[in-house]
Parts: sequence; structure tokens; C-alpha cells
Amino acid sequence: MAASLQRIGIVISRTFPIILQRNIQAQRIRHWKLTSSASPVLSLNFRALTSSSSSSSDNSDSTETLSRYSDRPWEYLESEEYIERYGSKPVWSNYRRNHKGGVPPQKTRKTCIRGDKICGNPCPICRDPNIIVHYKNVNLLQQFVSPQTGIVYDPTRTGVCMKQQKLLNKAIETARDCGLLSAQLPHVDYSKEDYSNTHGAVAPTPAPFSLSSGELWYPWYGSIKPDERELARVRRIYKDYLKPDV
Amino acid sequence: MAVFSFTRCLVRSYFCVKYVDHVQTLLQTTTRMFSVSASRSSFVDVPKAQFTDTEVQDILTKITGLDLKKVFRPIRQQLTPPKYKLMTDTELEESVCKAEKQAKHLLKMPPVLPERKPINDVLSEDQMLEGMDTANYVFTDINFNVPHRERFIVVREPSGTLRKATWNERDRIIQVYFPKEGRKITPPPIFKEENLRMVFEQDRHEDVLNQCVVQFEPDSVEFKNVLILTYEDIEKHGKYDLLRSTRFFGGLAWHLVNGQRIDGLLVDMLQRDLMQDAVRLVRLFNLVHPQSESAQHAQRQQATDLDLLKIYAQYESKRAGFIDLAVQTYEQTKALSSF
Repeated sequence: MAASLQRIGIVISRTFPIILQRNIQAQRIRHWKLTSSASPVLSLNFRALTSSSSSSSDNSDSTETLSRYSDRPWEYLESEEYIERYGSKPVWSNYRRNHKGGVPPQKTRKTCIRGDKICGNPCPICRDPNIIVHYKNVNLLQQFVSPQTGIVYDPTRTGVCMKQQKLLNKAIETARDCGLLSAQLPHVDYSKEDYSNTHGAVAPTPAPFSLSSGELWYPWYGSIKPDERELARVRRIYKDYLKPDV
Repeated sequence: MAVFSFTRCLVRSYFCVKYVDHVQTLLQTTTRMFSVSASRSSFVDVPKAQFTDTEVQDILTKITGLDLKKVFRPIRQQLTPPKYKLMTDTELEESVCKAEKQAKHLLKMPPVLPERKPINDVLSEDQMLEGMDTANYVFTDINFNVPHRERFIVVREPSGTLRKATWNERDRIIQVYFPKEGRKITPPPIFKEENLRMVFEQDRHEDVLNQCVVQFEPDSVEFKNVLILTYEDIEKHGKYDLLRSTRFFGGLAWHLVNGQRIDGLLVDMLQRDLMQDAVRLVRLFNLVHPQSESAQHAQRQQATDLDLLKIYAQYESKRAGFIDLAVQTYEQTKALSSF
């Protein structure tokens, strides 16, 4: 009797994720909390059987597959549900990864939700569909950033899956760009740069050099005087070839 | 007696004007680089103070103050365990001096430069190359030891013209090849109006200014726009204390002095009992606007300290009552404490 009940429990906990996707989002959390006790499991079983058979209820529920807070995710963090569930602690504080041995794998799982299926023990962001990673959701993003160093926590510490971690990183970067989160910037030193903007690369190109009349190409052309003796010697040697006026 | 001193003053000022005329012509020839012409009036021609003058810089640094606790407040960076040292008194003083030097280096003001002129230079027009491609080709000189302002960056357009790249294109290309830490290739959305407004509401003007300084060049249009917006917001709400002891206070003071709107800042200083700073601010105002009435009266009377404040309150200020009251209370307290 107990063994059969146990087996039923195993089957149900394996088919439980499918049930999750089909029910209303708010009920999800309540179901998750109650999976440990036996009697609700039976009622779940009943609901699973009825829901799998009747698709009409699905149609009415499928319009609400998105969370109530999908337009304004920051409102969830002020709602009673959130406070009742998490209080003032960060969202990842009571999450514990399941792994073999003392040292956890250095990367968390790739993703918790594949298509319709959700894994067992989903990460702190995936297990609560009202928690949406959005760059305007500053209070949520702050929970994943160290208040002293300003560095984003490693996923091995918070337990989020890699897909959500990537989304988190992107959201934190956008929030910092928009000025919602403060960022630490390097100090800019202005002493070494020259701002005169006179170099040809950034100033208008100077006009091309053109010789005015009488001007020589090189300035020293006119100033060199030939040696008199050399001049006389050359004249003597080439006397027959010189032009008459030279 | 009074007549004699009056004529003496007149003669002295006449001689000042004569000497200054020479200096004026010299300055005109030597300060062409900064391309800001001195404001001319038909009669007295005193050179207008520039941002880079030693006196102006001196005043601005003194007004900024040196609150070591604010300059060295803990910033978000990689944490190391704290170090404890046992020091004698002399060593402590030495380390405080070192800290002050470091603080002065950190408080160096970003330069106030005239706007850079746009680059519209066509190097060649080759009709042969028309329709070669649908995109511009950018040729950059990526030699390592060339300063960025002497780097040649040219663009070949699909119409065949070879032209020098504009300033925006230059900044982007230089950021691609020689990335600077913290700078993005496209300016981040924090500099848009709505985001700026939101950040100002949170009193984070310093963060915006830091971002601006990292992202833009000091002589670019966007840099100046962001600075002006920030300063306007600070002045509107009177949040001068946010920038005190940061490197941006000098820029704020300079902007206000140039716009002749130092009343708010003066009142704030007097409320915080910073008499010396208030006096220095009025002196800066007189240096920058030598034709204004308060400057001329101060010159005539050779006023110092609180008299400057009184002259300014009398002639230029719109909140004369408050300034006079504050000066009176200060004098009274000083007289009381001296007894």
C-alpha cells in the first residue's frame, strides 16, 4: 500500500512539470510548496487526469500563460506575495543546488526550461514565473550584484542557470548604460593631451605650395657663390663649348 | 583731502589703462590658439580672464575645497583586506601630505576648451570610382606612437570622393582600434533627456559627469551639452554641495560666472559659513567681467575681503538683502569672538 502510494508519488512528480505548464501561473507556486505532502498529491493526480483529458480548460488558461507582471516586472517586488515568500532576503538565498560531492560543478546547468518541460529543482529565477529579468527591474538586479565591490555574483554562488545568467548580465549592463545602476568608471587624466587641433589630420589642409615669381625652390639656391678660381678653370677648359654671352 | 585721493585714484587708474593697452596687444597675438577673443569695449580694454590663467585656476581650486573624506570615500572596486600601520606623528603628517597630493591629482579639473571646428576637407574627387560599393571605406593610420589628434583617418565614399573623417567618425574609429577603458563606441542612453532627468532626481550628478568625461572628448559638442544640462539642473535646485570637493566644481563655478549667475552659489556658500570662498568667487567674477559695475567699483576702491562682497551685493546681485545680512552677522561674530 505504502509502496504503491510511493510509486504514484514518483510518477506524479515526474509528470508534475507538464502539469505546471498547463495550469494558471499563480497556482504553480502553491502546487510546488505542497508537493511534499501526500494527500494534495492525490488531488493533483486527479487534476492532472482531468486536465489532460479536457482541453477546453486549457484554452481559457492559455491566454494567461504570461505572468501578471510581464509588463511591469518591478511591481512584483513590492507585492505581498513576494514579501511573504522572500522577505527582505535576496531571491537566491534559500536555493540549494543538487550535485554529487562537496564541490559543485563550476558551471550551473545550461537552462532550466526546455520547451514545455521544466527541470527538477529549477534555479531561483526560473522557479518563480513572476520574477522577470528586465533592465528596469533595478531592485531585482541589485540582488545579484555585490553592494561592496559592484561585481556581478558568480552563478555558482547564486544558483541561476547559464541562460538566465546571460540575460542577467545583459540586463545589468543595459541598466548601467541607462544610469539606473551605478557603475565604477576609471579616472581620466587630461595632462598629457594637446588640444590645439592644429595638425593637418584634423585641420583644413594648407594650400599647395606654389612658387611666386622670382622665388627659388630652395632658399639657399641664390646665396651660394661659386669659387672664382674654379669658375675660371672651368671656363678655360670648356672655352670652345661655351655660349658667347657667358 | 578727499578730492586729492580721488584725483590720485583717477591718475592711478589712467596709468593702469595705459599699461594694460600694451599687454592687450601682446595677448592678442599670443593667445590665438584658444580662439576666444577678449570682449572689447570702446574705452577701457582690460583682458578678460581665461580658464587656464593661473589666478583663475588658483581661485577655482580653493573654492573646490579638499574634503579628504569625500575624495577618498570607499568606491566599488575589488576589495583587499585592510592594512594597519603603526606610525609616529611625523609619519602621520607625511602620509596626510601624500594623501593631499593624491587628492589634488584626482581633483584636476577637466579642461574648458572652445568647441572643435567641424572637419570638411575633401582630398580628391575621383569620378572613376563612382558606384564601387554601397558603403563607405575608412582608411585609418594605426601606427601606435601617433597621438590621436595627429592620426590621419580618411573616408572613401561610394560617389568616389576621398574626404577626411568627421569628428564623430574619428572618435568611433579610434575607439574601435585603440579602445579606451569605459568608453563605448556609441554613446550610452544615459545621455538622453529622460534618463538624465531620472538620474538628476536621484541626485547622482557626479556619476553622470564621470560618464560624460569618460565617453566624450572635452572639446566636443555632446560633452558641452551634457555639462550645461547638469549645471543648469544643479543651479535650478541649488544642489551645489553635491559637486563640492569633486573635480567638476571648478567647471560649475566657471559656467555660472560666465553666465553672471553666481547669486545662488554665493548664498549657498554664505549659508555654510564659507566666507573666504564667497570672497574668492566675487573676485573671480570681477576678473572675468572687468567691465561690470562691481568690478569697476572694486578696482577704484581697491577693496578686499568683505568689502568686495558688499560692493557686489550693492551693484550686481539680485539677492542683496541676504548677502548683506550674512556679511553683517559674520562681522558681528568676528567682533564678539575677538573680545
